[in-house]
Amino acid sequence: MAGIYIHIPFCKQKCTYCDFTSFPNRLGFAEAYMACLYKEVAERGKMYKGRKFDTVYIGGGTPSIVDPKYIAGLMKQIGNCFTLSPGPEITIEMNPGTVDAHKIAVYKAAGVNRFSVGLQTANDEQLKDLGRIHDTADFVACADLLKGENFSADVMLGIKGQTQEDVKATIDLVHQKGATHVSMYALTPEDGTPIYTDYLNGELPDGDEVASLYDYGRALLKEYGYLRYEVSNFCKTGYGSRHNLNYWKRGEYIGLGVSASSFMDGKRFTNTFDLDEYMKCILSGYFPVIESEDVGEKDAKFEFIMLALRTVFGVSAAAYKKAFGSDWREDFPAYERMKQYFEEEGDVTRIKEEYLYVQNQILTEFME
Amino acid sequence: MAKPNQNLRNFCIIAHIDHGKSTIADRIMELTGQVSKRDMEDQLLDSMDIERERGITIKLAPVRMYYTALDGQEYEFNLIDTPGHVDFTYEVSRSLAACEGALLVVDATQGVEAQTLANVYLAIENNLEIVPVINKIDLASARIEETKQEIEDVIGLDAENAPCVSAKEGINIRDILEAVVHAVPPPGGDTEAPLSALIFDSYYDNYKGVILFVRIKDGAVKVGDVIKTFRSERTYEVTEVGAFAPFLQPKETLSAGEVGYIAASIKSIEDVAVGDTVTNALRPAAEPLPGYKSVRPVVFCGIYPLDGSKFLDLKEAILKLKLNDASLTFEPDNSVALGFGFRCGFLGLLHMEIVQERIEREFNLDIITTAPSVSYHVRKTNGEEFFVDNPSHLPPVSEIEYMEEPIVKAEIFTPPDYLGSIMDLCQDKRGVFKDMTYLDTRRVKLEYRLPLNEIVYDFFDELKSRTKGYASFDYEIAGYEKSRLVKLDILLNGEVCDALSTIVHEDRAYARGRMLCENLKDAIPRQLFEVPVQAAIGGKIIARETVKAVRKDVLAKCYGGDITRKKKLLEKQKEGKKRMRKVGTVEVPSEVFMQILKTNKDK
Repeated sequence: MAGIYIHIPFCKQKCTYCDFTSFPNRLGFAEAYMACLYKEVAERGKMYKGRKFDTVYIGGGTPSIVDPKYIAGLMKQIGNCFTLSPGPEITIEMNPGTVDAHKIAVYKAAGVNRFSVGLQTANDEQLKDLGRIHDTADFVACADLLKGENFSADVMLGIKGQTQEDVKATIDLVHQKGATHVSMYALTPEDGTPIYTDYLNGELPDGDEVASLYDYGRALLKEYGYLRYEVSNFCKTGYGSRHNLNYWKRGEYIGLGVSASSFMDGKRFTNTFDLDEYMKCILSGYFPVIESEDVGEKDAKFEFIMLALRTVFGVSAAAYKKAFGSDWREDFPAYERMKQYFEEEGDVTRIKEEYLYVQNQILTEFME
Repeated sequence: MAKPNQNLRNFCIIAHIDHGKSTIADRIMELTGQVSKRDMEDQLLDSMDIERERGITIKLAPVRMYYTALDGQEYEFNLIDTPGHVDFTYEVSRSLAACEGALLVVDATQGVEAQTLANVYLAIENNLEIVPVINKIDLASARIEETKQEIEDVIGLDAENAPCVSAKEGINIRDILEAVVHAVPPPGGDTEAPLSALIFDSYYDNYKGVILFVRIKDGAVKVGDVIKTFRSERTYEVTEVGAFAPFLQPKETLSAGEVGYIAASIKSIEDVAVGDTVTNALRPAAEPLPGYKSVRPVVFCGIYPLDGSKFLDLKEAILKLKLNDASLTFEPDNSVALGFGFRCGFLGLLHMEIVQERIEREFNLDIITTAPSVSYHVRKTNGEEFFVDNPSHLPPVSEIEYMEEPIVKAEIFTPPDYLGSIMDLCQDKRGVFKDMTYLDTRRVKLEYRLPLNEIVYDFFDELKSRTKGYASFDYEIAGYEKSRLVKLDILLNGEVCDALSTIVHEDRAYARGRMLCENLKDAIPRQLFEVPVQAAIGGKIIARETVKAVRKDVLAKCYGGDITRKKKLLEKQKEGKKRMRKVGTVEVPSEVFMQILKTNKDK
């Protein structure tokens, strides 16, 4: 398994919690940027000639804000330069405030077969507070356009003033509209974002409250047939995100575009976060990589465990042995004393359901 | 018999904290050209970082100077700076033994203070000539004549001709130097007698070995001499002798009357002790000089390395500190919760804080300290009697006939506005009121008898916060009294944590137990499971709180771009965990052991 990640760094306005690489009001650069991206696709395609990729994920920013012809062009370029396995999963992220029937038609024609819609909450006040450019009605319209498609909706927990009723309304709506997948994750106040001030002033729900909302949401999702397969991800049977699962299996992926990260041939590397620098590099014929790290064996083993334990599939002793040639329980002796927090099923060891949300406590014990 | 240099003057300075002692020392050095004004850092003698930051003197620091007096002759001065805080009286008494005279600095705006008196009497006991100096005359509130009168009345010294100076403004500093020349006698002794030198301080130098600070009483010492001390049979060849200028300055010989240092490649720290006498191994003196009164520590605490594998580093640090701080006592200790460490004894709370800080700074070691304790006198039913300063060494209640605890005589000086609040505090700390004196309209002296074990926790902090810092406090040990004391244990998740046990008065046990549980509940981070925190006396639970299990501790998202960053977040979290100690299954932050007894109830 290997994936391709594409970063589209444009948006209409920054959300108050956003610390991703995204540039509001620089949409005028889209044409130039996409040209650079095509070139990077071509260069990386040459480099990994003959390797098979199974998934494509177009994220952002807001990929749906640029003219859909660029997405079509991008997919064509990827098809020309990379070898995709049969039946690839191709996902695009969308902001409900930027979608219309034409765009969706173009995406589908370009091969996109999975949509990830950023709803966050069905409470318009809270959407405004988060700096989202859409309201609940926009989501409804978007979901109607996606009827029958494989689409996921983002649900955020820990918003200022958020109640259990808000979570219920949001999940109800997502369910009614036929989403196949839900990402329900906690707002993480990052230093430097506007929402961090709210956090410092104690205005955001605390860890216990978020945990309560999460437990509530998880139960409701289960009732609607969405099963948790990772800390923050739930799906109808058969609709897990293959692209994301590849990350958690510590599979390879190539990231293209400004700020995109890659993991290829045992090396992690990241492109520059600066849009101008990115374009300059590409135009001068260089890869815009600013950071590159060979992951040592010890780190690699820990990554394997850390990622696998996020999922309900857990650590497979056989997969671990295949990757590193050793027994993971011997490599992580802390397992013995933490055993009570795990369950085993055949070759697989996973964190017990009730401890999945406090797994850092367990993971840090595994770091020596 | 040959007399020492008659133009030599060895003296020290005695003063209350903040009466300007270090500034006077600086001015004297400046005037004798010892350091150029330009090069001079303020308060040159306070060279330890902690001293400069806190504005106090902890270590005595000697310095040699040359002064051409008004009589045309050149004199050699050895000045030994001394600390002012009562905790460091031991250091003071050591510097006194190296001198013939003492400058008594009195602040013209404050008059004679209680702590100064103690040191003055020490100086008189040591037969030192005392020269009063009145400082801060530049201040508008200076009361020069009253201060002179007070010195005569309270101490019985003639202060008529006392130099009146301002160290800050550099006024009349020469008067001090002339007074030293005329009032302080030259040293006695015989330069031709066998060597006899009193060690009044020492420290460890990585290249030269132990550096001994000595006052030569008789004879002389030079490079190549073979020396020994009275406590050990080992002999050493002298590699360097010299004076303090104020940094070490080698010279050829040190002879009777002089103050200086000796280096002799002494590597074994245990071989030398402050107060011991150095003599010539080939021509030894008949007997050692009188040493110092040994001091009894009054405050104790456990010191453990944060990283258990650093025990030997801690041992070396404490041994080296001991060289430099003879009043520090220690013995190896072993705690179930904290592993191997030392039980250390101190002369007071400030002394304890300074030692802890010096270990961390000068030896770059992270340490865990337990809450301070005092030494209790225990009589067992079988007649055995002993002292216990470590609560976990207390025998079972059934074997104890009675216990006694140390009591102090405390003096508190305060503006009258805070009297009520201070009396409440003393009452609260089991104090017994003794006396109250109005010193003037703005200052009252309160006298109390207080159990030392009530003072060692948070008395200072409380006093400061209740009086906005206006009250000052001093105490001396007044003996032992029978008391109903119990050992209060803390159980974490059902297991006793020995490092958190305390000895407490029976009447206070319930309140203390409740407070401890409440503080611990806030201090212990939430973990994967619920942690009961209980206080118990002899197996009977008297208080309980619960640290709830953590509910959310997870990386919200972890996709392709996040993996390196999230791994770093986990590493950071792991670093935080390393600062904790595992007590049974429970992780406890290391600072808890020290701070848990502070009753910050107003938060």
